[in-house]
Amino acid sequence: MIQFQNVSKHYENQTALRNITFSIDKGDMVFINGPSGSGKTTLLKLIYLAEKHDEGNISIAGFEVEKLKESSIPLLRRNIGFVFQDFRLLDNRNVFENVALSLMIRGVSEKDLKTQVYESLKIVNLRHKADSSPDALSGGEQQRVVIARAVVTEPTIILADEPTGNIDPDLSAGIIRIFKDINAKGTTILIATHNRDLFRNSGKRVLKLDNGNLVGDEKG
Amino acid sequence: MTSYAFRLAIQSILHEKWINLLSMITIAVCFLIMAITALSVYNIDLATKTLPEKFSIMIYLKDNLSSEDSKNIINTVKKDTAIETVRFIPKDEAMKELKSFLKNTEYVLEGLDENPLPDSIEIKLKKEAVGPDSVKKLAERLKEIKGVSEVEYVEKFLSSLYSVKVGFKTLGIIFIIIMSVGIIFVCYSTVKILFYRRNKEIETYKLLGATKGFIRAPFIIEGSVIGFSGGLLSLIGIVSLYYTIILRLSLTIPLFKSIIFPAHIALFLPLAGVTLGITGAAIAIGRLRY
Ligand SMILES: Nc1ncnc2c1ncn2[C@@H]1O[C@H](COP(=O)(O)OP(=O)(O)OP(=O)(O)O)[C@@H](O)[C@H]1O
Ligand SMILES: [Mg+2]
Repeated sequence: MIQFQNVSKHYENQTALRNITFSIDKGDMVFINGPSGSGKTTLLKLIYLAEKHDEGNISIAGFEVEKLKESSIPLLRRNIGFVFQDFRLLDNRNVFENVALSLMIRGVSEKDLKTQVYESLKIVNLRHKADSSPDALSGGEQQRVVIARAVVTEPTIILADEPTGNIDPDLSAGIIRIFKDINAKGTTILIATHNRDLFRNSGKRVLKLDNGNLVGDEKG
Repeated sequence: MTSYAFRLAIQSILHEKWINLLSMITIAVCFLIMAITALSVYNIDLATKTLPEKFSIMIYLKDNLSSEDSKNIINTVKKDTAIETVRFIPKDEAMKELKSFLKNTEYVLEGLDENPLPDSIEIKLKKEAVGPDSVKKLAERLKEIKGVSEVEYVEKFLSSLYSVKVGFKTLGIIFIIIMSVGIIFVCYSTVKILFYRRNKEIETYKLLGATKGFIRAPFIIEGSVIGFSGGLLSLIGIVSLYYTIILRLSLTIPLFKSIIFPAHIALFLPLAGVTLGITGAAIAIGRLRY
């Protein structure tokens, strides 16, 4: 589903990823772990093409990224659900509309849109906040709206960047359970996190990054 | 898909109603000035079209020609294809006309034993033959005819008529082009402002998989709505201007009665608004990159 072959990424004055090679199969749930600044977000950005890699080859859901035409970028992104580290919720729209946006972009009909949005809000336990503005939500609630927006389209891949960054340990465990449920239905999931508690004893695969290098590939 | 684009556009128009209203009014004013210009050019053009009918050339004949000679001259003149009508004015009739023209100041003619006026021929030209060059050539041809002493016409009238006509038209077209560019610029700046304001939103759209079309459509719709409303507003303006001012003035000033209001301007203004609005919006969005 996701293949990296000797991939490197340089920003103007530093190298964020160095010669990374790994492969993730369809239906896997994988954690990406490493200290702050180790390159976790950069790695996810290369997958959804928010950044371009400088060396190596990347293949995502059958798309070879180097050969991808610009007009195909939206098609690739529509296979992916994102949980951004900085949320990217629109504060001039309520929770329902924020979640619905993913579906509108894909041209889902009005009727289907409503049921799907409410369903995914139910998964993250925020059905009752549908009419609230994101500004009026707690950090943890905002985090869950972002997760609802990522899962509502039933993508083949979910990329979650620090999905428990603002959340207490109990709620974090709940969110990981949500991802596990979705993964059980066959969705490939990548979770970037610096929090080892999330995958300790989970039996899931963990890719370890340090200073832009892939330093470990083990079971958590 | 398209219904979402319309909804997003309407949301944005209502949300940014003050900016949008301001640009609609600006566009309406531009269109109003444009419409008044077009109306003036149109009416001047119409007026100058009837003027050639009033244009005439006078041919003065030499003294002491026999009536046979005069007839020959008239026949030669009649053969010219540019000529519509020919009227022979004998010198007695010319004197009569002069006397009736002078009316109460007839005494200036006292003391003349002999009629000093020559026989003359007044000719009117076919409409399409009235032009500064064609008339000059015709006058030269007429002068060649034996027995003709002089050919007279108001040269200045002709050339000034044409330069006025052409001048007004060129000026009007230049003015309308400038106004059109102005309207495009207003739409451009408005959409550009809205585009920058929603920059973060657009970035998010892109990351969530929106196509360029999905991102562009609401702005294009917004541009066309602004342009259309501006055009419609100016239409209301020009129609009310026509009915309140020109029709009322024409009751007292006859010149205004002849002003014609072409109805297709009613269609043109909103349509031009949409076209210019879309153009401005498209330029404002520019090339999108993922
Ligand atoms: N747009 C950018 N321009 C320049 N340097 C960047 C840019 N984005 C990231 N970097 C640098 O690349 C390195 C990796 O950043 P990245 O965001 O991938 O780290 P991270 O592992 O996600 O960290 P965190 O856990 O704090 O989110 C960092 O040193 C960062 O300063
Ligand atoms: Mg990060």
